[in-house]
Amino acid sequence: MATKDFRKINIDQYDEDVLLEEDLYDHDPRDPATVLAETKQKAAAVRGLIAKGDIAGALSSVLENAPYGPKVDDAKILNLQTILLLLNSTKTADIPSTIKALSSDAQDTLMKYLYKAMAMPGYADVNSSALLTWHEKLTDAAGIGCITRVMTDRRTV
Amino acid sequence: MSSLRPYLVAVRSTLTAAMALENFASQVVERHNKPEVEAGTSIEALLNPLVISRNEKEQVLIEPSINSVRMSIRIKQQDDIERILCHKFTRFMMMRAENFVILRRKPVTGYDISFLITNFHAETMLKHKLVDFIIQFMEEVDKEISETRLSLNARARIVAESYLATFG
Repeated sequence: MATKDFRKINIDQYDEDVLLEEDLYDHDPRDPATVLAETKQKAAAVRGLIAKGDIAGALSSVLENAPYGPKVDDAKILNLQTILLLLNSTKTADIPSTIKALSSDAQDTLMKYLYKAMAMPGYADVNSSALLTWHEKLTDAAGIGCITRVMTDRRTV
Repeated sequence: MSSLRPYLVAVRSTLTAAMALENFASQVVERHNKPEVEAGTSIEALLNPLVISRNEKEQVLIEPSINSVRMSIRIKQQDDIERILCHKFTRFMMMRAENFVILRRKPVTGYDISFLITNFHAETMLKHKLVDFIIQFMEEVDKEISETRLSLNARARIVAESYLATFG
């Protein structure tokens, strides 16, 4: 009994050389459990660094080896919360110097997190005006190319 | 309205970054050239969509792809009157979409108005002027809606007063 829905079937998905979402980027070699454990460790370390007032150091440690790809949603959320905590606890006057202290890879990752946070307004710690200030300062420091790299990088955080 | 500026600055820089477009023929249909962001047939030609939000009610969604960028705006709507005004205003423009060249006839779900800029638009028009146009539109639309609401209220008050005066 054929239905007329067969015309809507995307036959290309049965092609053997079909391109899948996960073929577009290199996968994280670590397994999800390790990633989550590492992220938790970092989150704990960051609290210590905040107490010492070393925001730039804390930020670069969180942005390094940030979780990406599928199956690590818990780690992603945890890392986002840690970063939001850092962003909200930085004084506006300190933002440019904090950004300057980051490596260019860390700046790109920070931009990814800024967009991720802006995509979920109303979520616990998301403070849009603080994020917009960070975005402006980061664009000043890293340029438009930083935003382009966020758009083109498939390793979404 | 102090926080409008950083919002528009963020939209401007993101849109400028998304404007890097090039001619790209469809990989699925021979001799077709479609905006990839609308066709959505080849995932490798689509880039990560980005959202910029001022608050929950005011957001911009920018969906870049290799040959086109789709940009959708959620306009601030405080109450029912603003919702109606916004609907009428955007509908008026979208019915005349061909006069605005880059305006889309229907908004993306969840948003009030959408623009679609293809590489052909970016080639025939100045990119920075396109960005300026959208930023100016965003500035004006809020102002326009709140002004209309004020004059609507003022008119309603006069009408009510003169109507009720006949009974007074």
